[in-house]
Amino acid sequence: MNGYENPDIPEGINVTQEHPLKEFGQLVIGVTALIIILALAFSELGAYAARHLTLEQEVALAHRMLPAMWTETAAEPAEQAERKHLQELADRLARHMAIPAAMPVTVHYSAEPVVNAMATLGGHIVVYQGLLDATKDSETALAMVMAHELAHIKLRHPATAMGRGFAVALLLSTFAGLGDNVMQGWANSVGTLTALRYSREQEAAADSLALETVYREYGTVKGAEIFFEHASAEDNGLTPPAILSTHPSHEERIRKIQNFAAKESGAE
Amino acid sequence: MYDLIVFLTLIALGYGFGQHAERKHFRSILEREKELKTLLCFSERRIPEQEVPVQGQLVSGSVVISIDYFKQFVAGLRNLFGGRVTAYESLLERARREAILRMKEQARDLGADSVWNVRLETAAISQGAQRQQVGSMEVMAYGTALIRKT
Repeated sequence: MNGYENPDIPEGINVTQEHPLKEFGQLVIGVTALIIILALAFSELGAYAARHLTLEQEVALAHRMLPAMWTETAAEPAEQAERKHLQELADRLARHMAIPAAMPVTVHYSAEPVVNAMATLGGHIVVYQGLLDATKDSETALAMVMAHELAHIKLRHPATAMGRGFAVALLLSTFAGLGDNVMQGWANSVGTLTALRYSREQEAAADSLALETVYREYGTVKGAEIFFEHASAEDNGLTPPAILSTHPSHEERIRKIQNFAAKESGAE
Repeated sequence: MYDLIVFLTLIALGYGFGQHAERKHFRSILEREKELKTLLCFSERRIPEQEVPVQGQLVSGSVVISIDYFKQFVAGLRNLFGGRVTAYESLLERARREAILRMKEQARDLGADSVWNVRLETAAISQGAQRQQVGSMEVMAYGTALIRKT
């Protein structure tokens, strides 16, 4: 047994003394920056590709992707009348926007109580009964929302958003082989955040064009803010911060309408 | 939005509990290592000739240790850039030393003075199980304890 001993092994050979949060911070910032840069680049690529989609191709694509839009011919007469009324409003507003004939605007009516409307590929707009209820006191308010959806179509936002969405989804799916689930979840959240930025930009652009259109049609934008006031009252103050939203805040949109109104009345 | 809150809560919980457990474990390891310092431990396969009559007996100690959410996340990010996965290093260091300590405790209880031919085995336990599962691993230490015949 002589000559055998267990000397003290110094600490810190196998374990670093660096604070774990430092490494965490460096890695999170690094990965996040990488994903944001790549997501923005892919998003631009997708938008670029979408700009090369002709109107005819978009209409055909919508026909294939959204077959449900063509099955509502059997709707009740009351719904048909509502749809016709909305289509007339859309056509009147569309005159001020110079929407190309290759992309005819088709309005659809849904009896669901959702307080919203949406524009999608191929010039299709869906208006929900909930929105009609919320704006029943003011035609300008309904026209504002309708003009907003028309503006999306005029500016070809659905196609652009689809192009960006596909490109970013493609990018994020290549991350699927890297790291574990937690990391993929993180990559997806960050990638989605970049999409929200474009979404807010599109909404703001659609709002501006819609305001101008409503002003041209009615000579005033009074009452246009009613929908947003209604929506902001429904939120109960539980709104996520702007960076996590698809739309600009209701307060911001109401303020913009009021600014526009003030400017127009000052010019007269 | 809510996913993000859940995620951050899990990270914070993983960090809080994980770090607390790690500090506490290292304190306990250092204390017990000092206590068992007189019980010698060698990797040598051939046991040198002894001056007193002895008998050999197999002793072993095993430990299963689980990774926390925070470490898993940091290690996942590390996979992208490469480099030292320090989050796992401290975990494995704890597991190895704890396994040796448990083996030595068994040897002490048998009245041994030394343990020879010490070997370490490592096994990942939840590998191949559901992917969402938090990984845990086993380290086992074993050797031949020399006990004086009385």
